[in-house]
Amino acid sequence: MTSEIPSLKAKTPLKPKQAIASKTFHWINVISLTLMMTSGLQIYNANPVFGGRGGLRIPPLFTLGGWLAGGRHWHFAAMGIFSLNLLFYGIYIVATRRWKHRFLQKNDLTVLQKSNNIKRKNYAWHRLAYTLIIPVLLLSIFTGLGMYKPAQLHWIVDFFGDWQALRIVHFMAVPIFVAFSIFHSLLALKVGGSRLVESMFFKPSSAKII
Amino acid sequence: MSFSEKTNLYLPRRRFLQLSGFSSLGLLLNGCAMSLFDEQVFRATEPLNQTLEEWLLDPEKLVPEFPVSAIEPDKLLVNTFDFTPQIDPQKFRLKIDGEVARPLSLSMADLEKMPLTTMTIRHVCVEGWAAIAQWGGVKLRELAVLAQPSSKARYVYFKSADGYYESWDIASALHPQTLMAYKKNGETLPVDNGAPLRLASPIKLGYKLSKWVTQITFLSEKPKTLGYWEDQGYEWFAGI
Repeated sequence: MTSEIPSLKAKTPLKPKQAIASKTFHWINVISLTLMMTSGLQIYNANPVFGGRGGLRIPPLFTLGGWLAGGRHWHFAAMGIFSLNLLFYGIYIVATRRWKHRFLQKNDLTVLQKSNNIKRKNYAWHRLAYTLIIPVLLLSIFTGLGMYKPAQLHWIVDFFGDWQALRIVHFMAVPIFVAFSIFHSLLALKVGGSRLVESMFFKPSSAKII
Repeated sequence: MSFSEKTNLYLPRRRFLQLSGFSSLGLLLNGCAMSLFDEQVFRATEPLNQTLEEWLLDPEKLVPEFPVSAIEPDKLLVNTFDFTPQIDPQKFRLKIDGEVARPLSLSMADLEKMPLTTMTIRHVCVEGWAAIAQWGGVKLRELAVLAQPSSKARYVYFKSADGYYESWDIASALHPQTLMAYKKNGETLPVDNGAPLRLASPIKLGYKLSKWVTQITFLSEKPKTLGYWEDQGYEWFAGI
């Protein structure tokens, strides 16, 4: 999303600009979540959540670590980076009051149902996606802690009923997040094209206006 | 910097972005190659992981246990690294030695005369599955009371009849819920589960819980061979 509202006086549309903090968060999130998901799928293969020892395995193309121990090393290394990044992002959006614009607002649902303004609808869709993905990410940390230390943090396992329920909820973060990433990428391309996408990954000066 | 230089810088970037438009997919495809670095990643983060595990472990605090009705007999899978040893319980002896004032050699009858502790706990395997099971046996700390480990003892080494070996930190070994178990779900321990004597504890992953244990050695130094799976690359502390 642009952090500046294009002025009517501007002859050419303004370059989309992203705050350096947003870009940093986004980069670390892309990398750490990819590591978390691929190493998680490696761990999954040691004993599939669905079907146990007879269950279907994830193809090695999507797994990281080579074997169970390697997958666990990557998973435990990336979890701290992923969680701290999310925490810093949380502090950042509260401190800069960005949360007011990034998440679902009162009239967004009305817009989605009734409005014919495509731009407004796109923004409302995106805010809805952002709002829904935050609890998914937080839940994956919470369930992950429960599986990481089920004896010391036994209350987390109890909260989900039993071990299998905890495993399923933890695993569900993967398909949900993959779906979110596709939706988020397509919507960003639709709203701002490659210029917007580029502005989130690189310096705005590199985004040349054609 | 001239304009043309800027353009040159800019174009490859733009192309790069297009190529890695699905940058996550790009990383996914690199997934296999990255397994090369898992040892470096392990060495970089394991000390922090172990510090956290040691901090979470209270050596005297009991992990809540389950009612007998919660036992899941079918969920406890059997993992063995090699063969299943057949041990005659009449001839079996548990040796306790190392940094102790009184080395011991105990028969099953000796162990059965000691106070029986029964606990229903969750057994968690590194593979991701877990099962609630009931174990009955002697607290390792009560065996330590008999053997009297010296103040130098900081690690405990377990040797098994099938060649499996494990080392533990002494705090976890002397935790009140760490048992040398000879009963499972109210019955005599089956051979597949480690008869006549195995480790059982709610505070460690399954691969720390050696079956067919024949020797317990108290050590002042961490042994060079940490454990069968640790020597293949698993983490050593494995506290849960």
